Amino acid sequence: MVARQHPQGRTTVARPTEPSSTIFLILRRMRAPLIVLIVIFAVSVLGLTLMPGQDPSGRPTRMGFFDAFYFMSYTATTIGYGEIPHTFTGAQRLWVIASIYLSVVGWAYAIGSLLTLVRDRAFREALALRRFTRQVVHMREPFLLIVGYGQTGQLLGHALDSLGRRLVVLDDTPEHVDSLDIDAYYADVPGLVADGANPHMLGAAGLEHPQCEGVVALTNNDEVNLTVAMTAALIRPSLPVIARTVSPVIEHRMRAFGSPTVVNPFDRFGDHIRLALHQPSSFQLLAWLIKGEGATRPERGRPPTSGRWVVCGYGRFGHKLVDDLRADGLEVTVIDLGSAEDGVIVGDASEPSVMARASLSTAVGFVAGTHNDATNLSLVAAARKENPALFIGARQNRPRNAPLFATMDVDWLLVPAEMAAREIYAQLSTPLTWRFLQEMPARGDEWAAETIALLGAHCGSQLDGLWKVTLTAREAPALMAWLDSDAVTPRLGDLMHCPHDRDQRIAAVPLLLLRGDESTLGPADDVVLRPGDQLLFAGRRIARRDLLDTMTNHVVSEYVLYGRTVPAGWLWQRVTGRKPSTLR
Amino acid sequence: MSLEKVIFGFFVLLAATLNFGFFIGDISDPALHNEYELFAAVVVNLIATVLKFGDRTQIGAVHLATSLVADLQLIAATLAWVYATQISGAGMTGEATASVVSLSGGALLANLVSVALLVIETVSFNRR
Repeated sequence: MVARQHPQGRTTVARPTEPSSTIFLILRRMRAPLIVLIVIFAVSVLGLTLMPGQDPSGRPTRMGFFDAFYFMSYTATTIGYGEIPHTFTGAQRLWVIASIYLSVVGWAYAIGSLLTLVRDRAFREALALRRFTRQVVHMREPFLLIVGYGQTGQLLGHALDSLGRRLVVLDDTPEHVDSLDIDAYYADVPGLVADGANPHMLGAAGLEHPQCEGVVALTNNDEVNLTVAMTAALIRPSLPVIARTVSPVIEHRMRAFGSPTVVNPFDRFGDHIRLALHQPSSFQLLAWLIKGEGATRPERGRPPTSGRWVVCGYGRFGHKLVDDLRADGLEVTVIDLGSAEDGVIVGDASEPSVMARASLSTAVGFVAGTHNDATNLSLVAAARKENPALFIGARQNRPRNAPLFATMDVDWLLVPAEMAAREIYAQLSTPLTWRFLQEMPARGDEWAAETIALLGAHCGSQLDGLWKVTLTAREAPALMAWLDSDAVTPRLGDLMHCPHDRDQRIAAVPLLLLRGDESTLGPADDVVLRPGDQLLFAGRRIARRDLLDTMTNHVVSEYVLYGRTVPAGWLWQRVTGRKPSTLR
Repeated sequence: MSLEKVIFGFFVLLAATLNFGFFIGDISDPALHNEYELFAAVVVNLIATVLKFGDRTQIGAVHLATSLVADLQLIAATLAWVYATQISGAGMTGEATASVVSLSGGALLANLVSVALLVIETVSFNRR
């Protein structure tokens, strides 16, 4: 069970179990009962052949081995056909009585042992592992390996599952794995209760499977996430790895192995706060797009950019938040139960006397950032009572408390689990969206406001979908001639005509144009397209279908690009001599 | 000395000796081949097989394989015996005896391999 060298020289983790291990386990446990059964049978049969018997005419005779075995077989299994070949003598009956009781004990022992084995934990684990390994080995589609299936994992799992992505789940908590059976998924998701830090288990979960397209480490334990990221980087160096952590030290150690994408929800929240403070429109656009399909446009928050903030809870989240606020030149008062740092008000923030020391009446913002939801809710209520004009932020730790926070109507709600899940989802589902979100803040607040206005004009306040289009012969066969032609310059604007009425525009907004490694945010209509370009669109579902028509149907593209109507059928194209110029 | 090894060795050897005892003698003379001995050989062979269950080493696997072969041969011999005494009606003729004994001879070979494996295992075992 040691790492062995692959023919190509790559180290692989050996499978922890051969498929036959369960059979061996059964055999090993059944050794004693089987021997007892064999001995009882042998003694009974032998005794029966030795007992003196009589034939009907009264001559002494002995039972043969065959008859004795036959008799014992149906007697021991409680079938009982009667005394053959002749009526038994007293001596034979005496022996049969003894054998019957012996065989009952033997069977009871054997069946009891088998049932105990089925109930046995080790046996069930071996069975579960075997089933899981088989399921994973037989995966024929690309799949993601998710280690840690708590809140974040489940949110992400459901989102990816509804996208049609396949998953394999590893978690050390049985309830989390059980949720795979309880909740509704489109695809079958293999799950195993096992320690993700164990490389053998990662191997069994398909780390070395050719169809494994990525590893996501989302356990609550940073060390485990680090081990998963390390193992993946060492075993499959080219495999994309996404790991969550809330500790900068661990983040640093993760980056030492390969190039994993590290998601730190607290850190990201800090980035979002700074964005919200300086570029409210950019933050609004980010919040809208990251929510994914079907999201309604969030209200633009107006966090106070000057004045004093009060932050309750000075743990890892509190530290990060306070650092970010102070970096923006804001004055911050911190309340915490047991912090020894200077300038921190020590005490229970829910006590009125402690709250009074923070003088909320002169503050502009308040953040309830403890790791206890009940405390956060009561803090928000208390702060609001003190100063109704406060800008309120709160941290929600458990998903089941979401309705309570919703009724409190806080200005900023941070759900670390959700934040991590959304980020990872954005990265995995549409990498172009991720790129857009990363580069968008640099374009400034006004540009973001214009984009939001554009989106509002074309798609309304609800985002139907974000989709990617690649201008290749495979995805856009009807555009290739146009893209390559020397006669016209292919511009993005020409593509945006509606296939039903060319004077109208389809209800979609191009967000990003990616050519090679060079990206253009919010490409204008006069941007020249080239084959191989990737485009990210946001818009209505109907617009997506219209665009697909334009890209794949030569007749449609002829109309959309040049305004010429050509017959769709082969015969009429011959008869009228009008053929789509996009057809090569 | 472990009791498990004693029992294991005992049954493996006893299976071979009983098998040999039944096999030895003129192959077609029913008087020289006792059916009780065949019965004992079958039972002891079965027990030896079960004792070899669940050993995942390479030599354990070969042990189990030889035992399974011996079981198969002996059960075939028993069936030949049942056919001769119960079904054909001719009883233990010279031919029937020869077929039973020769089948048990095959089992004897497998049992000898088993004993050889036991000896090899013992010799190659060095106490570390």
